[in-house]
Amino acid sequence: MKEDEMIICRCEEVSYEELETAAAKYKCSARELKLRTRAGMGYCGGRSCRTMVDKIAAASANDQNRTCVSLKYQPPIRPISFENLGRGR
Amino acid sequence: MNDTFHRDIVVIGGGIIGSSIAYYCSKSGLDITVLEKKELASGTSSKCDGNILAVDKDPGFDSQMALKSQQLVHELNNELEIPFEYRNPGSVLVCENDTEMEAAQKWVQQQQDAGLDFRMLDREDLRNESAYFADDLLGGLECRTDSIVNPYMLTYSMIHRAKQFGAKIHTNTEVKNLYKNQVNQFVIETNDGIFTANKVVNACGVWAPFIGEMLDIDISIKPRKGQIIVASRQQPVGLRNVMEFGYLISKFGGERQVDPLTDKYGVALVFEPTESQNFLIGSSRQFNGYDTKVDHEVMKYIAKRAVRFYPKIADMTVIRTYAGLRPWTADHLPIISHVEKVPGFYIAAGHEGDGISLAAITGKVIEEMINEKDTSIPIELLRYDRFHVNAKP
Repeated sequence: MKEDEMIICRCEEVSYEELETAAAKYKCSARELKLRTRAGMGYCGGRSCRTMVDKIAAASANDQNRTCVSLKYQPPIRPISFENLGRGR
Repeated sequence: MNDTFHRDIVVIGGGIIGSSIAYYCSKSGLDITVLEKKELASGTSSKCDGNILAVDKDPGFDSQMALKSQQLVHELNNELEIPFEYRNPGSVLVCENDTEMEAAQKWVQQQQDAGLDFRMLDREDLRNESAYFADDLLGGLECRTDSIVNPYMLTYSMIHRAKQFGAKIHTNTEVKNLYKNQVNQFVIETNDGIFTANKVVNACGVWAPFIGEMLDIDISIKPRKGQIIVASRQQPVGLRNVMEFGYLISKFGGERQVDPLTDKYGVALVFEPTESQNFLIGSSRQFNGYDTKVDHEVMKYIAKRAVRFYPKIADMTVIRTYAGLRPWTADHLPIISHVEKVPGFYIAAGHEGDGISLAAITGKVIEEMINEKDTSIPIELLRYDRFHVNAKP
């Protein structure tokens, strides 16, 4: 397997190459990189790929992008069923 | 900083409304600059759902405006280079009691009279719609022109095309002050230099009143908080957008037969399948200032409400929740208006939960107003000062 094909976001199956290409093209924040590629938007909530998505975005951002927006944390901490959420547990 | 840039038209706000204005205006040949205080689609436009609906619009002017916007989005799907997950399956409203069924019948009749593609659905239709619906649901209605997009991708896509037409986009550029100088140009002071412009469009959504204040213009928009659940793909629950009929009542402020907290938080079912195969569950409506923190108590009631309509999703998983601020106006119509008191100042804001639905028509109408053409829809009802008719001059 080539290095480029390495999967960074396993939940949404986003490769290193896809992230690098999008980051080079848009020179955007990690947040925008996430939205454009879906890396970090899957089942685990970015638990495995968050730091790499942050790093790839930061490395590609140019001078114009001084305000670097890293990825946020949104509830729930772990996936929860509708039933349990509705019960408030 | 002494950098001063002169531009013909400056659009303040890089959400879906500002992006649509940038697209339609630059396409018509106008010189457009967008100033966005954070990033593109970083406010309401990425903290919402992606429904382009006529189904929940007041029959008549409101639904006609939505229909026009749907037609424009359909065209955008062919015109824009970056795909924005456009789907056009129609949408469904479901009813849980006879009162709602009767109201739905009336709603369908009124919409059909206004020329829209509406139809009643019976129990059998609902069963065919989704195997996950509760058995006791009586029926509902469908609007066949309704469509779905990914709102932030549509924003990115319109900006991408606008740039090809020559639009200049400045992100991380916050407007600090706005006034007119002696030669009647707008002076726009930002954290990243000063701009002068002949015309300014305020497309700041819930933040539009702050820009208005700088010019002493009162803009009657209040932030209304709405929360949404993202559920993980497991089994396909449905292919179309679904809402409970009570959503209309919640939207227009009528009385519903639900428990006090569901009512208090304005919780009403919205189901939206996304292209990633996940689905979104909404919704809530609360006046709570500019707070966008997810309120767990409200989420509980949204989850409960979803299970009431889809009992068999109880064991499906919620993977993410978020909250956004909808720019509310008293009559549920947006403000799309020129401000005669400050010639050259336009407002395009206040779409509440209809910003994605009405972005295309809003951008088109602002382009038509600036180019002094006839507008695609009548705009008298959308004036900025309609809320002050009884106020002292």
